[in-house]
Amino acid sequence: MDRSLRTRLEARFADRLTGPVRQRHDATEIRVRPADVVEVLRALHDDAELEFVVLADLCGVDTGTHMQVVYHLWSAKTPDWLRIIADGMPREDPRCPSLTGLWPGAEWMERETYDMFGIIFEGNRDLRRIYMPPDYTSFPLRKDFYLADDAARSPGGGVRHMEQTHVPAQATPRVVRRTVKA
Amino acid sequence: MTPNAQTHQHPSLDDPRIMLDDQIGQFEAVPPYPPRTEREAEFYSLRDGEMFVNMGPQHPSTHGVLRVVLKINGEQVVDLDPVLGYLHRGVEKLCENSDYHHIISQVDPLEYVSSLFMEWAPVMAFEKLLDVEVPRRAEYIRVLTGELLRVSSHVLFQGFMALDLGGLTPILYSFIERDEIVETLAAITGQRMLFNYFRVGGVNGDLNHEFMSRLGDWMSRATKQVEANVGLLNENEIFVRRMRGVGVLDGDTALRMGASGPNLRASGVPFDVRRAHPYSVYPELEFDIPTRGAGRGGDSLDRYLLRQDEVRESLRIIDQCLHNMPDGPITARLPRLLRPRPGRAWAAVEAPRGLYGIYAISDGTDQPFRMKIHDPSFVNLQLVGLLMKNNLIADTMAVMSSLDPIMGGIDK
Amino acid sequence: MALTPDGPGEAVAPDPVAADAPPAADAASDAGSALVAASTRDVAQPIVVPNTLWTSVRADAYRSEAQADTHLRELEGSHLALSDTRRWGQLEVIPTKADLLVDLIRMNSLWPLLSGLACCAFEMMSAATSKNDMDRWGMFPFRASPRQADVLIVAGTLTTKMAGPLVRLWEQMPEPKWCIAMGDCTCSGGRYKRSYATIEGIDRLMPVDVYVPGCPPRPEGLIYGMMKLGQLVKEQRGHWPERRVGPTVPADI
Repeated sequence: MDRSLRTRLEARFADRLTGPVRQRHDATEIRVRPADVVEVLRALHDDAELEFVVLADLCGVDTGTHMQVVYHLWSAKTPDWLRIIADGMPREDPRCPSLTGLWPGAEWMERETYDMFGIIFEGNRDLRRIYMPPDYTSFPLRKDFYLADDAARSPGGGVRHMEQTHVPAQATPRVVRRTVKA
Repeated sequence: MTPNAQTHQHPSLDDPRIMLDDQIGQFEAVPPYPPRTEREAEFYSLRDGEMFVNMGPQHPSTHGVLRVVLKINGEQVVDLDPVLGYLHRGVEKLCENSDYHHIISQVDPLEYVSSLFMEWAPVMAFEKLLDVEVPRRAEYIRVLTGELLRVSSHVLFQGFMALDLGGLTPILYSFIERDEIVETLAAITGQRMLFNYFRVGGVNGDLNHEFMSRLGDWMSRATKQVEANVGLLNENEIFVRRMRGVGVLDGDTALRMGASGPNLRASGVPFDVRRAHPYSVYPELEFDIPTRGAGRGGDSLDRYLLRQDEVRESLRIIDQCLHNMPDGPITARLPRLLRPRPGRAWAAVEAPRGLYGIYAISDGTDQPFRMKIHDPSFVNLQLVGLLMKNNLIADTMAVMSSLDPIMGGIDK
Repeated sequence: MALTPDGPGEAVAPDPVAADAPPAADAASDAGSALVAASTRDVAQPIVVPNTLWTSVRADAYRSEAQADTHLRELEGSHLALSDTRRWGQLEVIPTKADLLVDLIRMNSLWPLLSGLACCAFEMMSAATSKNDMDRWGMFPFRASPRQADVLIVAGTLTTKMAGPLVRLWEQMPEPKWCIAMGDCTCSGGRYKRSYATIEGIDRLMPVDVYVPGCPPRPEGLIYGMMKLGQLVKEQRGHWPERRVGPTVPADI
C-alpha cells in the first residue's frame, strides 16, 4: 500500500478521477470515465515519475447494471499494482476507446473482451471474435447469458445440484489479519 | 483492398462426387463472409503471386489446436493470422458458478504443463480477499513444487522445440525428465498432471518420505542431467542455424506488445514478477534473473538458451528451499465454506511462460462474481504475427515454438 | 455501484449449441425416487443425437457394410475388389486362418492419428515416450495425416469450434478405423459438462470403441485401453454392424 503513489495520482489526475483512490493490500485503484482512458494511460506511461510501462491485464466486467473495463499496470517506481477502472458504460451499447495505439499488445485482449462482453473498442483495427466461432451471436460472459443448468441465477431454476452445500448466514470472519504496513 | 489486388475465388466444384458436404466453406482458409474489420480486409486480400496456406487446427506441432493462416509468396511468409478458440472451454464462466475451492480444480487445465502456477495466482487473490496469511512452511512448499514444475516445463519446451524443427529424439529425453518430476509431485499431490494441490491458505498435503526420497534422487542427478540435455543440442549446427537470427524481437517492442516471461527477458528486459513484485517467500531466496539479447534484440536461439538459464536458477531455488524449509502448519485455519467480503483483488505470479494474473471480484457470496484469467501465452502469441514477417515457412515453427505457447491457457 | 447480478429478468435466448445439453430437469427430479426403487435396470435405447455439425448426404454413412456411391462403384460391382468387411463372399462363413492373420496384423500395428487437443495429449505423449513405451505394441508412428492412420485417439476437450474439424478428420480416415475416447472430457464432457462451448462426449459425433476415463488417465491407463482395442479388433473380426453414434447410458442416470 503505497501512500505516496496515492498522493501523486491525486495530484496528477485530480480532474480525471471519478472516485477516490482506493488502496488495499498491494493494489491501488483509480476510476476514470471511458472517454478519458487513453489520455490517462498515456500520461501514466509517459510520465517520468510514474512510468507504468507494463500492461499486465485488460478485462471487462459486467456488474449487472453497467459494464466496466479494468486495466492493470506495473511500474518500477512503486511497489503497488495500479488498477484503472473505466466505469459507467451502458450495457446496451458499451464503447471504450482502444489502447492499441499505446500498447499494440492490447489488441487481442480487447478482442477477447469484445467476444465475451460485446464491448466495442473504438480504434481497434481487428475487433472480431477470437474464441467463439465468427457467426456466434451471444456474448458469453454477460450476466444475462446463463449456462444450461445454472440453477442459482437463472429464471428457470429448479435444476438439481450435484452436491448440496451448507450456506452459512454471514460472511467468513476474518481469522488472521495480514499486517500491512504502508 | 489495395488496387491491382486479385480477390480470392472459391474453387468451383464441378464434380459432386468429390465433395460430399456443402459446408466446405468453414474449412477454407478464407472466411466465406465479407471482411468485417480493417485487418481482415488487409489480410484476406491477395496480391499477385500470393496464396493462402492453412496450418489447420490439427497439425503435428504439439502445442495444441492452433490454426494459423499463412499468406505466402513463394516460400516467404508475407503475413499470418492465428485463429484461436478451438480449445475455448468457457473456464471463466464456469468459475463464476463455482465455489472458491472448486475454482482451484477449474483453473488447473489452463496451462496443463505448469498447472501449479495456474492455481497459485487464484489462491493468492482469494487470500487477499479473505485477508488470510499463509504459514511459512506452506509458502516454502509452494515455491519448491512450483520451481520443480518450472524445471519440468522448460525441459519439455526444449524437447518440443527440437520436435518442431524435426528432431525426434530430444523429446524422449525431455519426457524422461518430466516423468520423473511428475511422479515426484504425484507423491504429495496424488496426481501426475492437473494437481489440484494448492488451497486457499496453504497446500493440501505435507511433504512425505516418498516425495523426499524421489526428490533427493532426482536432485543428485539434476545438474548433470541438465548439462547433458543442454549439450545435446546446443552444439548442433543445424539446430543453431535454424534459430539464430530468426524472429528477432527487441525489448521496447516486446514491452509494447505486452509480452512477459522468457520471451521478454530474452529481448533484454529484466522483468520477472518474482523480483518486480515479489510474492510468497521469494524475497528471502537468492536467485538471479537471466536475460539475453540486451541491446540487439532476442532471436529464437536466445529464447531457447534463456530457458536453460532459468532451469539452473530454479535448481538453485529448490536447493535453498530444501535447506531452509521451516516447520509449522501447512494451511491456515479457515472455515470450510469461504465467503469473502465484497471486494476486488489482483494477484500475479511468474509462470514458466510469463506473467499470469487473476483479477477476482467477490460479491459476498460463496462464488466469485468475476474471475478474469490473464494468461501469458495469450499475449505472447501476438508476437508470432509480428516476428514472422518476411521469414520462410520453415521458420514459422521455429518462431512459434520458441514462444512456447500452450493452447489450454490461450483459449481458456 | 451494485455488484449484485441481474435479477431474474428476461433471459437471452440460449445459443443453439447450448441446447446440446440434454434437459435433465424432469428426468433428474424423479430420478431420486426412481434410483431407489429400480431393481431392473434395462438399458435404454442409445440416444442417437443427430449430427448437426456435419451430416453426410448418404443415409447409411455410418454402416461400414454400405455399398457407397463412390467412384469405385464399378470396381466394387465386379468381383475384382475385395471389400474390407466382406469375407469371401456374402456368406457368413467360419473365420479362416487368413482372417485371423489379418486381424493379428491389424491389432499389433495400430497407427494412431496425432489428435491431441488438450491436457490428455500430454499423457498420450508420455505413453508414447521412453518410460511407458507404446512402440512395444506397434503404435509408434503417430501419423500426422488422417489418411495414414488407423486409430483416432481423441485426447482432450472437444469444443464446438473444433467439432467440425474433428469430424472431418474422422471421415477422412479410411476404413478400418477405430476411435478411442481418452479422458473424461471426451467420454462424457467431464469437468466441462456445464460449459457453453464444449461437446459433452465425442460419442455424440462419432462411434467410439474404447472409453478411457480419467482426468487425465495415466499412461498405463491409455495403454490398457489400447490393449482392449487390440482384443476388440481380434474378436470382432472386422464386423462392425452395430457401431452407433450416441451415448449408451441407462435412462435414470
